[in-house]
Amino acid sequence: MTIFTIDEVRKTFLNGEVKEEILKGVNLSLKEGEITALVGASGSGKSTLLTIAAGLQRASDGQVIFEGENMISMNSEQVRKIRACKFGFVFQFAHLVPFLTVEEQLMLMLDVAETKLKKDEAQKEINKLLGLVEMSHRKKAYPSSLSGGEKQRIAIARAIIHKPKVLFADEPTASLDSKRSKDVMKLIRDLTKTLNIATLMVTHDEEMLTYADQIITISDGQVV
Amino acid sequence: MNIGWKEMKKNKGKFLILGSIVFLVSLLTFIISGLASGLSQDNAALIKDLPNGSFYMSEDAEETYNLSRIDSSTQERLLNKEEDAVALSIQMGFLNEEAGKQRSVAFVTATDSTFFPHVKRGEIVLDRSLQEEGVKIGDTLTNNQYNGQFIVKGFVDQKKYSHAPVAFIHMRDYQDMYRALEMQFVFVPDGELSHVIAGLQLFSKKDFLNTIPSYSAEQMSLNMIVWFLVVISGMLFAIFFYMMNVQKMGLYGILKAIGVKTNALFKMMWTQMMVITVMALCLSIAISQVFTQIAPNGMPFHLTMETTIQLSIIFLVIGFIGATLSGIQIKKVEPLQAIQQGEV
Repeated sequence: MTIFTIDEVRKTFLNGEVKEEILKGVNLSLKEGEITALVGASGSGKSTLLTIAAGLQRASDGQVIFEGENMISMNSEQVRKIRACKFGFVFQFAHLVPFLTVEEQLMLMLDVAETKLKKDEAQKEINKLLGLVEMSHRKKAYPSSLSGGEKQRIAIARAIIHKPKVLFADEPTASLDSKRSKDVMKLIRDLTKTLNIATLMVTHDEEMLTYADQIITISDGQVV
Repeated sequence: MNIGWKEMKKNKGKFLILGSIVFLVSLLTFIISGLASGLSQDNAALIKDLPNGSFYMSEDAEETYNLSRIDSSTQERLLNKEEDAVALSIQMGFLNEEAGKQRSVAFVTATDSTFFPHVKRGEIVLDRSLQEEGVKIGDTLTNNQYNGQFIVKGFVDQKKYSHAPVAFIHMRDYQDMYRALEMQFVFVPDGELSHVIAGLQLFSKKDFLNTIPSYSAEQMSLNMIVWFLVVISGMLFAIFFYMMNVQKMGLYGILKAIGVKTNALFKMMWTQMMVITVMALCLSIAISQVFTQIAPNGMPFHLTMETTIQLSIIFLVIGFIGATLSGIQIKKVEPLQAIQQGEV
């Protein structure tokens, strides 16, 4: 089922006095339980599209429809609330909070998403998810003691602990070696299917496209 | 979850350094404030311990009390009109002990009043500091300008003027010593009618204290140090949190991207500021109170709990302002920029 639609989205930047159109009327839709991969050359506008979809910047024109509502016309607090409660994020780097342990990273996300779970319920969820990403043994570890792959696994766990509807992944394997990249992609695919999440992923790596259900190529600000 | 507290637990060293600086600055502030207050007591306890009220000096004295002379008819009129009013004179001088030791005192004489001890001719009542220095009741003391002898009748607590112990003498003895028949000023306590009287200048207690030579200069310089220290502590917070925030810009951006409210980031900073300040203040309050108890007798140190609490509140407010000002950058953090910048 389609839960997210991007309709005729345009993005224009002012470069000095010259207007540059980065996105020129892009359309796409995301379905639950599917990974949509955005590919394209550097500067094609794919990352801009992902950040507009994720509510991290505003489109100059068009509609971003999530659960029947246009995010472009929402105020910044409404968009923040959607980001906190309904979206999950995995970035190129793990971006974990350096002074929180693995389980505290997940607890923080449950707080941010206002899940209102009791402490023991939250702990149960955390244990379950850490089992799923095979990181139960590093529950009390700080990010500084984790490897790159482990950090990314925790970043993925943090992105989905609050059961988001949409997962945005911006080059999630770019900082990892080939083996770890595959592990992480498998994990994203499995979680997308099991938790019925709609995942939008930007990638440069063609190998990772085998995990995608839908591939959208962006060129010069347009879908080809 | 209180992430501010978690960060402090993880990075104890960093926060301990700030805490110890705040502790030292606040302790120094308390000590200097105690010293300022102690010197103020030492300089003018005689006047400070009077209730709030008005002081009248002769207009031509140019705000110098020992040049002031209140005309006796005006004095009589004032004392008759205002029930609790008192006329008094002060002169610095010396008392000689039988053993020949000379002591600097402030001779004070006053009309009948509940504010000052009643003394008969030839008697003298002294500040208790002189008792601590060996003067006893019944001792006889002399003065070069006084033909007779003064017999010590008693001691009073905390009566100092111009850093000298006060010596209360009878009005007639004072007149004999200083050949002055008129009193220097009249004090009228609050509640009585204070109004302008021709030929007299009216002072509030605070204004009158400032006419005491050295009082305002002494207090101004010490209070200036106290306020400088308060401002420095505010700047310390502002600079420390500014540096911390600059280091954490990427982290703040990521936290904002995943939906953390800007308010929550400010709360994190305020929690840290409060924990550091409260712990540092508790420690410096404890040490300064211990110092109050053990300060040597000759050291003019007077730090009340009230002053300590007032200063502590000021420290908290200043710390809060400093931290908040430095936190303005948190508001400006763009999540997108942080994501593009790489690992935090």
